[in-house]
Amino acid sequence: MASGELALSSAERSPAAEPALVESCRRGDAHAFARLVALHEGMVLGLATRLLGDAEEARDLAQEVFLQVYRTLGRFEGRSSLRTWIYRIVVNQCRNRQRWWRRRRRAAERPLDEISATDEARLVAVSAAESPFDRLAREERARRVDSALRGLSFEHRAVLLLREVEGLSCEEMAATLGLPVGTVKSRLSRGREGLRRGLVSRGGERP
Amino acid sequence: MTCRAVRHRFSEHRDRALDPALSAAVTAHLESCPACARDWRAFNDDLDLLAALPGVESSGEIAARVFDRLDMEGRQPGLSLIFRPFGAARPLMLPSLVPAVFVLMAVLTGALALNRGPEPLPTASTAARAEAWDGVLPPSGTESNPLFPTSEVSVPRMRSAETMPGYLLDHPGEGTVFLETVVARDGSVSAVNVLGGDSSLPRSVVEALRRERYEPGRFRGRPVAVSIYRLISRMDVWGTT
Repeated sequence: MASGELALSSAERSPAAEPALVESCRRGDAHAFARLVALHEGMVLGLATRLLGDAEEARDLAQEVFLQVYRTLGRFEGRSSLRTWIYRIVVNQCRNRQRWWRRRRRAAERPLDEISATDEARLVAVSAAESPFDRLAREERARRVDSALRGLSFEHRAVLLLREVEGLSCEEMAATLGLPVGTVKSRLSRGREGLRRGLVSRGGERP
Repeated sequence: MTCRAVRHRFSEHRDRALDPALSAAVTAHLESCPACARDWRAFNDDLDLLAALPGVESSGEIAARVFDRLDMEGRQPGLSLIFRPFGAARPLMLPSLVPAVFVLMAVLTGALALNRGPEPLPTASTAARAEAWDGVLPPSGTESNPLFPTSEVSVPRMRSAETMPGYLLDHPGEGTVFLETVVARDGSVSAVNVLGGDSSLPRSVVEALRRERYEPGRFRGRPVAVSIYRLISRMDVWGTT
């Protein structure tokens, strides 16, 4: 059952369809769960890859995330959106995995600017119509941003990605991370400053 | 408003989280300060770049993998027969190992208790003590330390029978006497000892026994002194007359 093969309609992607989808999953509907995975796996993979810095680890973690979603969906109360609830699972699992690495003194997480050709081939092109020069320039900028992102702490990185990439509000991030809104704003401000300093130190000239 | 204060509020200004008055002050400063305006544009460009990072292509296999995992876990009772832990797969092993360990320990303890090392070699003091005894005791087979008749030591044979002691002939009666006669290496009698019986035997009887002559006893062909024991009954003497 490959969820990637599922063609999701716009109605299925709408937030209004979420309660019905969750209810179907709770009843053990495998097709409904496959649709749920198809809806969120891109977000889970992207966020986990940026947080962990390793595409293969992120793929493995995504499987664990959806396994946890399947098992604990009965406890999902619906007070927040399903997407926010999944964000929380992803961030917690990434944090746990990083701690596991630290305990085992893993030399260093693989930085994204050293990402392999195989991983790079999986990156989705933003625009198919761009010229080779533009494409190279974009990839170079992406590498520098990734590298600067890797220089941040896990907590700053998580806040920055949830805000800038996933578009969560400070209140949603506070609910996702289980933090006060003020703490989230403070981390966001420091994370943005840290990213900027990292880009300047890595780039020479501004992108 | 200073440049430092404005730059400190870039993050909130981007999120439109500043109150209107403060937001208007920041905007006015950015319009009048080219350096802060340049930094503001760079700040936004960096974050827009982050937001525009390419996503990660999903393989579409995650749901299938999750279902595989769930399916495998659902078949756990069957799979556990193969993949269950060693102890669980052999429930009788541990209970049977416990008495086996006790039996083994008992056997080893018994073996260690009975295991006595080889007899120690004679020490210098033991050898010296044996030599000292050799010095005190006379050599075996001599008159002062006679041997006893055995399978290797032949019994002395009498050469000539002496006449019966006159005392016994003169005073016939009942009673017996137990004697030890030491036959010397030359066949003579070196000693006669009365060991039991009638102790009133006169000296003449002992002297008569001393005069007996024997073919000496031999040990490996060599003549040795031998002790022989005799029981003499007066009734026998009386009967011979």
